[in-house]
Amino acid sequence: MIRFGYIIISIAFFLVVCGIASPVPATPVSRQPQVQAGFERFPPPDFVETGHVVPSPTTPHPRQNIYEYIDALVLLAALGLASYLVLKKRSRRAIFVLMVFSLFYFGFWRKGCVCSIGAIQNITLSVFDPDYAVPIVAALFFLLPLVFTLFFGRTFCAAVCPLGAVQDLVLLRPVAVPNWLESGLRLFAYAYLGAAVLLAATGSAFIICRYDPFVSFFRLSGSFNILVLGACFLLVGVFIGRPYCRFVCPYGVILRQLSRLSRWRVAITPDDCIKCRLCEDSCPFGAIKVPTTEWPPRDYDKSKKRLAFLILLLPVLVLSAAWAVSTASDSMSRTHATVRLADRINLEESGKVKETTDASSAFWATGREVKELYAEASNIQAAIKTGSWLLGGFLGLVIALKLIVHSVRRTRIDYEADKAGCLACGRCFKYCPREHVRLKETKQTVGDTE
Amino acid sequence: MKPRVDGDSVDVGTANQWYQAALWSAIVAAAFSLIVVVLLVVNYLQIKVFDPVRAERLELLKLKILDRPDDKQLLLQIRELDLQIRQDRIRRQNFSYKGSFLLLGGLAVFVISAKVAATFKKKLPEPQALPDRQKEQLRQAIRARWTITVGLAALGAAVLFFATRPVIDFSEEPPQKGIWPCFRGPGGLGISASTNVPANWNGGTGEGILWKSKVPLPGHNSPIVWGDRVFLSGADANERQVYCFDALAGKLLWTGNVPNLAADGAEPVEPAEDTGFAAPTMVTDGRRVYAIFATGDIGCFDFYGRTVWARNLGTPDSAYGYASSLAMYRDLLLIQYDQGAVEDEKSKLIALNAFLGHTVWETKRPVSNSWASPIVAEIGNQHQIITCGEPWVIAYGPNGAELWRAKCVGGDIAPSPIYAGGLIFAIEPYTKLVAIRPDGRGDVTKTHIAWSIEEAIPDICSPVSNGELIFMLTTDGLLGCYKVTDGTKLWEEDLREDFFASPTLLGNRLYLLSQKGVMFIIEVGTEYKELARSELGEDCHASPAFADGRIYIRGLKNLYCIGN
Repeated sequence: MIRFGYIIISIAFFLVVCGIASPVPATPVSRQPQVQAGFERFPPPDFVETGHVVPSPTTPHPRQNIYEYIDALVLLAALGLASYLVLKKRSRRAIFVLMVFSLFYFGFWRKGCVCSIGAIQNITLSVFDPDYAVPIVAALFFLLPLVFTLFFGRTFCAAVCPLGAVQDLVLLRPVAVPNWLESGLRLFAYAYLGAAVLLAATGSAFIICRYDPFVSFFRLSGSFNILVLGACFLLVGVFIGRPYCRFVCPYGVILRQLSRLSRWRVAITPDDCIKCRLCEDSCPFGAIKVPTTEWPPRDYDKSKKRLAFLILLLPVLVLSAAWAVSTASDSMSRTHATVRLADRINLEESGKVKETTDASSAFWATGREVKELYAEASNIQAAIKTGSWLLGGFLGLVIALKLIVHSVRRTRIDYEADKAGCLACGRCFKYCPREHVRLKETKQTVGDTE
Repeated sequence: MKPRVDGDSVDVGTANQWYQAALWSAIVAAAFSLIVVVLLVVNYLQIKVFDPVRAERLELLKLKILDRPDDKQLLLQIRELDLQIRQDRIRRQNFSYKGSFLLLGGLAVFVISAKVAATFKKKLPEPQALPDRQKEQLRQAIRARWTITVGLAALGAAVLFFATRPVIDFSEEPPQKGIWPCFRGPGGLGISASTNVPANWNGGTGEGILWKSKVPLPGHNSPIVWGDRVFLSGADANERQVYCFDALAGKLLWTGNVPNLAADGAEPVEPAEDTGFAAPTMVTDGRRVYAIFATGDIGCFDFYGRTVWARNLGTPDSAYGYASSLAMYRDLLLIQYDQGAVEDEKSKLIALNAFLGHTVWETKRPVSNSWASPIVAEIGNQHQIITCGEPWVIAYGPNGAELWRAKCVGGDIAPSPIYAGGLIFAIEPYTKLVAIRPDGRGDVTKTHIAWSIEEAIPDICSPVSNGELIFMLTTDGLLGCYKVTDGTKLWEEDLREDFFASPTLLGNRLYLLSQKGVMFIIEVGTEYKELARSELGEDCHASPAFADGRIYIRGLKNLYCIGN
């Protein structure tokens, strides 16, 4: 209990930091620019009859840089603490408390932005657009969880990511998703990552942010569609553990691969697995791998042939997927504002629509030539075409490799946490009898010391 | 409180007060959250469904007030409705804001209570009998491969869905059919991209006439066309109007009134009868239409007939009445406002912001009053605004700066310049046709005049050229064909009719509309060859418009649409 108290003190420290980081009073400053815009566009009315005094427009203060660095420091501290709690302390309760803190700090307090998941796009855009300077905080939010994952496994997912936390909280009646189904569903995350990178690289859209299902909850406002999407994820999340993290999260795709390489990672048992099978159903995320057996001999030959066939199929799948996705590139290019504008202008030019939109009106007001816009749109279409070849190739490669992976026999003798899929939540610890022995020994050692 | 261990599960039983408290808290919180959700959804539907209807009603009332500016009752109604809409919007926003906090609180209580309740029902692990691991492994691998194959199929279906959606290839030149946006069509060159235009019709029998509509007020301006809409203007001493006709059926869709905004005490305008109050042809950018009148009043309307802006440029001092048509460059509305004599220094080229109507720039012109229209030509990688007015042909840049000038024309200049075969062609009425190389700077009178000819020269009709041959048509019907390169005359033909309308080129056919409404269709070539001749049955002064395989001809009283 004393050590748990240290955690509480640490969290209290963070809360104090949050208080310092509080940027503005609680007035809804977002309304103020509207007032200012109104003053610029229309003359203020005279309130002669009521004597109402029109308040002077004010400009909200921009959030100072120092607070962004505090966010990065909090992230660093939370990652460090999470890694300690997962690997050394092995306390699910402490991980849970840190997770709740992260949900309130990075989610509700910081409104879910900057987040590591969305930072993928900032980094990508900075690589492809020399005019775009990636904010250092966005770079830190992208890199720090990767570095920690490389050393300690997915402790970011366990207790720092607010998106994971909100799903973890609503998990009440976990239902196991079969591994074979999970493997297929996870393809969506790869496609989402590929599409997000392509669209960010071409400056088309930040789709991860646009379709973030939980940011509306964090901000207590958002479009109806996204709120419904978020509600659906949470409803599903009551029964299926962290559906967004497992089947959608593009950052999770990267973390999975790094977690395979991590130096230290979660182990169900603190020492030796006694194969008691008590932990078998303890993970709501299907991340516990059971021991394997030899394949039957008659299937072994068949498997070898299948494997050879799939290896030969790999380049075919890569090329055909690349070609197929490239055929949809023009539709994808509509995610870019310039292409959409050119589309609209084309409709207006050809007389298919009569009304102008805000965007087309703004375009006409600039006096730019239509053919200049079309040339720009054409260039973007060409860039997205090239990118869609790469995206298709990437997806073809992922599918081919997954088919190959599921045709290879792997040896496992113990119950293990899945290197890639384990979210380091710590739920399995207490199911292991060896863990209870360890805790008892630890308690005894502390008692002896005292 | 400690849960009681019973057999292999931690069972607190329904009698445990803590479990009951947590359970009921969860139920109450869930019910509360559900009610809040329902209220928020209703509030949202009101914002999305109910409010836009009222906002639309407000917009309609605002349109009405434009026609009835003195209607106090209507004004009051607008104010009340506007206030009501704003109050409701703020109230609903507040409701959403507070409701979201209530929902968050309700959900938080629900989750905490449910989790607490779940801890009392937690079961200890019960490993089942081991399945046949070997078979299970194989089954899992097979299913996984099938699932991934299904994923591949889903990817293919998604690609197919997106690949079959219609797309626009922006690397191709945008189609220009269906528009005739200004006097003499795109670029003011008198050239139409339409080639499927009929050659035979008869106004008397109605053969080939798709529709005929009466134009309320007189005017000699030409129709302009954008998609399915035809615009022209009409005016008399009292009224100035813009008309929008349905290009398909000829129905008058709306009439826009341009108010008299002349300064108090301004002298009344008395144009010549042949010119009238509405000689200048309108211009459109596809979203708005612009019209100018002999009074100097200029108005801008959207495609639905709503006035966007209107202003008066000052009463023009023009001997026969102001007649120069409008032109556009990007968002600039170009007005060649030539007036008085040279020494009066009244002439100027004005560029208005097309969206807002304010003056972006204006440039003084050392010319007397003229009736020619400016054209905008893309020469090399630069746009030039070409103007004619005694005694200068002057080119301006898009910012109003003068690029070059040539002193080569005189008299009352009505024919507009054209750009063809790399040369600017300008006409001095009755006297000469001048070809100027447009790549000079400053005064190019002595350096850039390529050639000039003094043959049968028009005084009203503008020339037309396909880049190799140039055609000129005099008012008394003498049609001449000349080489663009050096002005060599190839042929000349007397059509024995009077002409006010300028010729138009469609592929290898030349359309010439006589004052009596007879359209001569001539083959473009080194020899004269008449292909057809069709009568409208009504006198015509305005140049016809060509769009989408149709011809729009303005008679003195009616607008005709001719097509197949």
